[in-house]
Amino acid sequence: MPDNEFYVPDDIDLLRMENELLAFEVRFLKTRLGQPAKIPGSSTSLNRLAYLEDSERDLVLLLRRLLESPFSPVLRRSKRFRALEQKYLHSPRLQGPSSPERLAYLEEAERDLVLLLRRMSARPFGPVLRRRKAFRTLEQRYL
Amino acid sequence: MPEDAASSLRTLVYAGRFADKVSSAKLPDGCEVLSEWDVLPSQLAALEHAATLVVLDLFSFPFESMTDKQRDVPLVVILPSGFDAPFLSAVFDEAVLGRLGFFDRVATADRDLWEELRLRYRWAGSQRIELYCSLPDEAAAEICGRLEEEATLISPGEDYETIRYWRWRGDALAASEPQLAIHVPHHDPASDKAVYRVQSKALGPQFVAARGARTEDVPFEALEVGVGVGRWASKFDPASTRFTGLDVSWGMIRAARADIPEGRFDLLEEDLVFPYADESFDLAFTVSVLQHNPTSAKRTLVSEMWRVTRPGGRLMFLEDFVAKKRTPGSTVYPMPINEFVDLVLEATAGRVVLEHLEALRYPHDPFFRGGLLSLSKVGTPQTW
Repeated sequence: MPDNEFYVPDDIDLLRMENELLAFEVRFLKTRLGQPAKIPGSSTSLNRLAYLEDSERDLVLLLRRLLESPFSPVLRRSKRFRALEQKYLHSPRLQGPSSPERLAYLEEAERDLVLLLRRMSARPFGPVLRRRKAFRTLEQRYL
Repeated sequence: MPEDAASSLRTLVYAGRFADKVSSAKLPDGCEVLSEWDVLPSQLAALEHAATLVVLDLFSFPFESMTDKQRDVPLVVILPSGFDAPFLSAVFDEAVLGRLGFFDRVATADRDLWEELRLRYRWAGSQRIELYCSLPDEAAAEICGRLEEEATLISPGEDYETIRYWRWRGDALAASEPQLAIHVPHHDPASDKAVYRVQSKALGPQFVAARGARTEDVPFEALEVGVGVGRWASKFDPASTRFTGLDVSWGMIRAARADIPEGRFDLLEEDLVFPYADESFDLAFTVSVLQHNPTSAKRTLVSEMWRVTRPGGRLMFLEDFVAKKRTPGSTVYPMPINEFVDLVLEATAGRVVLEHLEALRYPHDPFFRGGLLSLSKVGTPQTW
């Protein structure tokens, strides 16, 4: 077809087959793009976001467990532990999954969880805590 | 392009510095001689309407100014005498020699020079035109005479029967004129080359993806079904790939074996059952083959391709999914993409995953006609 002519197909059967081919390609591309879907304006994939949400949930649960344990008064003497308690149990949670602030908050929660688990895994409490399956799962997942 | 237009295409002979020695009068009708003044960048557009461009004076032709459309015209380059392969590679590597594909040819009288360059650029043996003379005017007359003889189109007539037709075509043309053996009857040579360029651009990355992350020392087994004269074999590095081709035509097989000694080429019998064990290949692919076969043959071929591919390996189909069988003699059995996908799912019991799909539009064609599907075979290996 010459470059300076408009595309004017005159065969309805060929046009139907071409539409089918292009529609199939569009479906394929949409499916492929759908898997690693991105948050608009962010470089974080949905999989990563789900992982960060999980880590925040695990951190909150772990802090609650620690506060319910007999070691709670000892732990509260630590300024860092009190800061964690304040930040994740007593402050209002940042909402809106696509906001950059929420993303930063979740990434911070993941870092705090990793640090907390490292401290707990160290001696002398690590070997004792490791007897619990839930703790071993957390270690496996984040360390 | 219509056949009447195709028949009016000319062979252009770029004589460059030898223009005064080469006269149109001594060349067959339809050949036109060009001098250095005729290929100034502003005048190169005239090349687009040539059937073939013969370049007698390689040193003065402005290859770097050519557009993709102009490069679609099949080239015959005459290697200048008195220079060795390293010199010619250093001067013409990327601009000329590295770009010559299956539809281009190289004319030289020097066999050793040809062999050295052929290995370096993975040219097929049939791309060589053996010259018996060294003077520019004699060489031009020899090449133009040969092109004149080749310019005979071949069509199936009124009754097309797949295997019979392709066997006849392979026997008649593959040995002497391999480019014509796989030529589409209603195309001109530039269209064939343009289609090849578009297909090549789509297939290249998929061949790389099929190879995956395996290292060069792990041999990669590739099978082309309907290999013809082996035009896609050059896309694979023989050092790291074992290339195998199947075809129904002995003529094609013989030509491919002669051209590509490092490959393996076998005959596909009429029952279309592949002579290979299950899970023998990492990649099985076809290019413009299934479209020439009726539905039952398509199903058998896809099923066989799936059988001989290893789990985790790739199946690739580059076919036209937009076409019509206008006459009984038409060589096309059209099948829309959705029907083809259903056929693939049926022939493989759904044990494939679509990895890539790409619609292709060839130059001069108003439709997106071609489609490249790349599928992974899923399953557990039966053999280790």
